[in-house]
Amino acid sequence: MSDTRDGLTVTDLHKAFGSHAVLKGVDLTVPEGAFAAVLGASGSGKTTLLRILAGFERPDRGVVAVGGAILDDDHHHLSAERRRVGYVSQEGSLFPHLTVAGNVGFGLRRGRSREVVVAHLLELVGLAGLARRYPHQLSGGQQQRVALARALAVRPRIVLLDEPFASLDAGLRASVRADVQSVVRRSGATAVLVTHDQEEALSLADMVAVIRDGVIAQVAGPRDLYDAPVDPELAGFVGEANLIEGTSDGASAETRFGRLALRDGHAPAGSPVTLLVRPEQLRVRLVEEAAPGVAARVVETGFHGHDAVVRVVTEGEPPVPLLARVLGDVRLEPGARVMVWVDGPVHSWPRRPSG
Amino acid sequence: MTATGAAAERPLPAVPSVPARRGRPPGLLTGMSLAVAALLLSPLVFLLIEASGAGVGTIAHLIWRPLTASLLWNTVRLTVVVTALCAVIGTLTAWCVECTDLPGRRLWAVLVVVPFAIPDFVISFGWSSIFTWVQGFQGAVLVMTLGVYPLVHLPVAASLRSADPGLEDTARSLGLGRFRAFLRVTVGQARGAILGGCVLVALVILAEYGAFEILGYQTFTTEIFTEFQVSFNVPTASALSLVLVVLGGVILAGELPARGRGRAQRTGALAQRVPRRHRLGQATLPVEAALLLLVALALGVPVGASVYWMLESGAPTLTGVSILAAGVYTALYSAAAAAVATLLAVPVALLAVRHVSRGGRLLERSTYLVLAMPGLVIALALSYFAERYAGGFAYQTSALLIAAYAILFFPLALVGVRASVAHAPVALEEAARSLGRPAPEVFWRVTLPLVGPGLAASFCLVFLACATELTATLVLVPTGVQTLATQFWAYQQNLAYGQAAPFALVIMAIAAVPSYVLARYFDRLPGRSAAT
Repeated sequence: MSDTRDGLTVTDLHKAFGSHAVLKGVDLTVPEGAFAAVLGASGSGKTTLLRILAGFERPDRGVVAVGGAILDDDHHHLSAERRRVGYVSQEGSLFPHLTVAGNVGFGLRRGRSREVVVAHLLELVGLAGLARRYPHQLSGGQQQRVALARALAVRPRIVLLDEPFASLDAGLRASVRADVQSVVRRSGATAVLVTHDQEEALSLADMVAVIRDGVIAQVAGPRDLYDAPVDPELAGFVGEANLIEGTSDGASAETRFGRLALRDGHAPAGSPVTLLVRPEQLRVRLVEEAAPGVAARVVETGFHGHDAVVRVVTEGEPPVPLLARVLGDVRLEPGARVMVWVDGPVHSWPRRPSG
Repeated sequence: MTATGAAAERPLPAVPSVPARRGRPPGLLTGMSLAVAALLLSPLVFLLIEASGAGVGTIAHLIWRPLTASLLWNTVRLTVVVTALCAVIGTLTAWCVECTDLPGRRLWAVLVVVPFAIPDFVISFGWSSIFTWVQGFQGAVLVMTLGVYPLVHLPVAASLRSADPGLEDTARSLGLGRFRAFLRVTVGQARGAILGGCVLVALVILAEYGAFEILGYQTFTTEIFTEFQVSFNVPTASALSLVLVVLGGVILAGELPARGRGRAQRTGALAQRVPRRHRLGQATLPVEAALLLLVALALGVPVGASVYWMLESGAPTLTGVSILAAGVYTALYSAAAAAVATLLAVPVALLAVRHVSRGGRLLERSTYLVLAMPGLVIALALSYFAERYAGGFAYQTSALLIAAYAILFFPLALVGVRASVAHAPVALEEAARSLGRPAPEVFWRVTLPLVGPGLAASFCLVFLACATELTATLVLVPTGVQTLATQFWAYQQNLAYGQAAPFALVIMAIAAVPSYVLARYFDRLPGRSAAT
């Protein structure tokens, strides 16, 4: 069934708590050595999925396999301690009564080799000098690194990361993220990161699985997920999205912004389509600069330093609100009249019947 | 495509992002907890069976008579006066220790709690053996107030300590003056703690026997004891016990509306700030003097009186031996009872902390009904059970005494065990298991080291509570055996103050330990460390 090169295979996984169905048939395959992200809003079932993979919960139905070995199916349930699946929780869950070295070496047999492995791992996560400290003497980011080192010490087949960066402050998050990613990659383990933060998922993972209402809505590389989400809701979930209506003629579509090239010309000619225009695909210029496009008025400008997000409304009927991302040196005050046009090919979906 | 569209328009189900472990708690745990609850409530059942055996008419006749009315009047007026005094004194001491810059407040924090641990019959002995005017109602008010005000002090101090100082700032930014902000925010947050303390005070007064016997003040408990032990009038004793348990239930219910409301809250786990201390300024000296007086009255008089009587009577030769013998029995019974009570508390605490559910909460609450049952009533119910169903075999055996202690002090054990179980979150056990360690090893290396200190503290508290218990011990102690408390009582009843005094001193020395443990324990809670 599952290929041995598959790091992780999840097939038709179901789980309900009482009458509340949380997972409704999850299918997911993560290649060995890959860094995968499971992206979902709170309540989407992502944490339950992770807890089942770790062996803390037993699925109602479905199969979990790692490297071809079955961990869960209708008849078997391998307990958490026999799975060789590492788990790094949101809070780190370090043992408060043990030192850093005691935590990292917890899963290893006593002996000389343990000290060597612990020292090596602390080196790897950049905490070589802190072996004698206790968890409460560490910062949040250091605690997460220790938790990761502890999970990697037992050479797990998969490492599960349950929103490990959520409790860190913004300044720390970026650096801890980068460190964790590089440590996991160097360890060679297959990693599954659960997060509700789309930026985190897109920037860290090789592949992103979006979980929505108990099922996987889409699995794709970060770039493909961003450029070609399966439906408009998902487009909005993985980034800012302008949705424009048009009529397809095969390889392109006719819209208010003129004829736009389609990334995937699957829609039959003449059919109505919804187009995805990311804010950075919109170009905005002041009217005085004699630019092409559609006339609009600036409503609001959010300045972020390196760039700015501009909210505009088109002037024709009906007025369409749009979001554009422009470079930071462009000065666009609210009320300014601008021209807006779309640059590059766009993604399209067949338009749903309204109602 | 349309299906996902419909799904996206539906609101997301409101599931907490960090579940406290949903689903059904394991059957074994539930079964064990139910068995514990059944054991704890068995005295109540026995009491009802006993009373119904005497016939409803007889019981009603025994209750509806002038004696009951006078006992009710005595009990209620004492309860009201002492509870009010304790509420004021306990709140003031807590505020002085926690919210002001009082010099030496860490020492005071320990000293003002110690009287709680000294049995009220020892305080009563100390006062009445020296001052003859300490008797009757006024004597009871004095002795009980001095003995139990720490029951208000402890929860209020904990509540003030955990209160978020940021809230007082917020109130002041909303235009309240310094004093009104303190009153409405800080005291307002401690309201639940004050009420909880008052409930405990009232329950202690209902249950007290020894102190009132010494002072010659008649309450339900003293009358029940006389009817049972002296007149062997079991129907009257059980009828009066019923009234007493109902009174206890009413008092216990008084706290219910306040539960779950008005708890001290901190906004944000990281928002621990150095608590703001009010400057006492010129009031420092009077406050120090008042605290000194309080401690002198509550602690100095009983200790001083005991030392006086011991020196007065010279060097009693036999006392040393009898103290040793009584001490050994006391230690044996107390250790056994403490172990049983702590073990019984484990399943209930696990169920309450790890498997949050309506049924579990109800079960945990039901065990607190034990608080409404005075030790005397538990002892009477168990002795009735032994006589009726065990053919008199178990009556006045160590097993029955240990069972009575374990039931009586179960709530005390549960408080400690619950707190220590909360120290070992499931997430840590899960982390250990995902590192490949089997369940027994996880228990040994993770759960036990985290829970152990709390369990040991619970054990010590129950041990010391048993060691200083008098009422149930007098009823159930095996024939021919004396514990420290019963031997003290025997000498004291014979007015052999010189021989009673060494026992009083030993009991006080033992009793001082748990208050120290308690104070140290509360010391380590968050907030205090930042203050030093």
